[in-house]
Amino acid sequence: MSVEATDPALAATGTQEAPARRVNRSLAGRIVFCAVVAMLCLLPFVMVLVISFGEKIEGAGWVFGFDLTNYRRFFVGADWPNSTSFLYLQKLGWSLNYAVIASVLAVVTAFPFTYFLTRLSRRAQTFWLVFLLSSLSLSEVFIVMGWDILLSARSGLPMVMQETGLTDWLKDVGFFPTLRDWGLASPRNVKFKTSVLATVLTMSYLVWPYAVILLYPALSRLDPALIEAARTMGARPWTVIRTVVIPSVKLALVGSVLLLFVFLLGTYVAVTVFAAPAQQTLAVSIYESVRGSTLNAPFGAAQSVILLVTAVVLLAIGQKLSTAGGRA
Amino acid sequence: MPDLVLSDIRKDYGAVRAVDRVDLNFAHGELTALLGPSGCGKTTLLRMIAGLEDPSGGTIRLGDQDLTGTPAHKRKFGMVFQNFALFPHLNVADNVCYALTISGTPKAKARARAGELLEQVQLDGYGQRRIGELSGGQRQRVAIARALAQEPDVFLLDEPMSALDAKLREEMQVELRLLQQRLKITTIVVTHDQREAMTMADNIVVMSQGRCEQVGPPQEIYHKPANGFVASFIGRANFMSGRVRDGAVQVAGRTLTVDPAPKYLDGSAVTLALRPEKARLGDALPDGNRLPARVTFLRHVGATRDIHLDTPAGPLVVEQVSDRGGDLQIGSEVEVHLPPDAIHLFPAEAAAA
Repeated sequence: MSVEATDPALAATGTQEAPARRVNRSLAGRIVFCAVVAMLCLLPFVMVLVISFGEKIEGAGWVFGFDLTNYRRFFVGADWPNSTSFLYLQKLGWSLNYAVIASVLAVVTAFPFTYFLTRLSRRAQTFWLVFLLSSLSLSEVFIVMGWDILLSARSGLPMVMQETGLTDWLKDVGFFPTLRDWGLASPRNVKFKTSVLATVLTMSYLVWPYAVILLYPALSRLDPALIEAARTMGARPWTVIRTVVIPSVKLALVGSVLLLFVFLLGTYVAVTVFAAPAQQTLAVSIYESVRGSTLNAPFGAAQSVILLVTAVVLLAIGQKLSTAGGRA
Repeated sequence: MPDLVLSDIRKDYGAVRAVDRVDLNFAHGELTALLGPSGCGKTTLLRMIAGLEDPSGGTIRLGDQDLTGTPAHKRKFGMVFQNFALFPHLNVADNVCYALTISGTPKAKARARAGELLEQVQLDGYGQRRIGELSGGQRQRVAIARALAQEPDVFLLDEPMSALDAKLREEMQVELRLLQQRLKITTIVVTHDQREAMTMADNIVVMSQGRCEQVGPPQEIYHKPANGFVASFIGRANFMSGRVRDGAVQVAGRTLTVDPAPKYLDGSAVTLALRPEKARLGDALPDGNRLPARVTFLRHVGATRDIHLDTPAGPLVVEQVSDRGGDLQIGSEVEVHLPPDAIHLFPAEAAAA
């Protein structure tokens, strides 16, 4: 009885005070949390945005200001309106070019691999996934170094092709000039450094494990009965892939390409090593502005802002296209 | 259309034999049910017929055409899967005409055919719906229409009713049977539900542990089970053990006559099986074949009731129409009559299976 008598009193004070305190505490907590998130995520970006309007002082550092020179330089060149230069737009173009080709290549090659992976036994799947995950621990520098050796003229693939007579054979069948047209051969031998091919291959190699890991959930969730149903209705293996498997995982495919594309926009080491000087990307140019020889932080910041905005716009377009396709 | 003939079909998974030397003949236009407990190999057998699984031995023929090595997509066998396996990225009409679309049928013609098929399964007007918007019963109808679109030689259904609730299941069984009879298509249904098999099938194949235990029309399987397994799996049965002596059976010291007379050697151990509804209780019992019994439990199931008895030969269940047989109380001493023509005899060891 006494317990029952004291209970309501306790409960009453509890219901009046505790929620109020809780609300206060949770509100304060939320404000602190938001402030920390804002500090960590937004502040660097705001800084970059602000700096991008700053002014470079020749022979010294830079000062804050509101100046559109950096953006003008990006789009039409520093000397505008006397002369125009699209150098930096070209760099942006190369950034997009490499990232699009490499991300599509990675997803297109990872798709069949992942498809067959999901058809293996559980044990084999675990082995491959662990292997791929551990390969992610390799740094970009390390991977590029490996490819650098593999593709180098003196000790890599071109040397092997020369020694095994493959180069001579290419010359005999008349394919060699075509390779030269594509920029994949010097007058004497094939060469992969520097070339778009080497850049794109290395970049897609970098993100290939991610592509598998991104596609794996969708493909392993795919009901095998769907494939069997298609087979009983007369679908040949390739028809099954085309009409059942790909449509079922279309969102995962598009999503993977978008994610890897954004990831690859920032590739630095692979581009500096494998891309020709005239085909360098914006990421390299940003680094050179900020840390490299020119020491022009405001211009580097302006390029960063443009790269970021481009990525966001393209992501939004990709998103829109994929959802529109999903509904049709 | 010729018959589908399986000869000596086997399937091994490593050391496990899933299907063991099956010989079956599926007559044209008939509905055959593959019936058995889970893991008896019935689904494996169906998948081998569909071409989704390669037999380890034996042949599958359709008339004089050997289909054993033919891949699934060249067999033209329509199949309905247990979970229906409808394509979520296509609407109902596109699902139904999938087989036609991939074979290059003009779109308008395929559409018309889809409409026709949807009408046959009473789903006209549902063509533009998405699969996610359909109920379980509607999905099943779509799956049936889709499997029939290519006008298959053989129509295969893997546990087609298992995803439906009990009431819908019985309706669909009747409906599927009517559709099958209208189209006169050779049909094979895998099921573990003996009522479903009895409702729909011209012929039932009872399977156990990869083997066919009995093949025959439902009534024959029910009334003349070939062995103890069939007797216990199809419907209910009381089992007693006895010994053959002088053309009759000795059970717990009493002599029971059996019609027809047992074809066993004197002294062989046998198992007797008797359907609960065949045993009789009451006042005007025929002479002979009686056992004294005591009522241990009464179970009322609507129109009928089960009377559980304790007899010298072991426990026995009698099924009776509820309003007949008078007042029985637990503990009542009664006599139970086992009609000679209702007793089935099997060799003793087979019943243990």
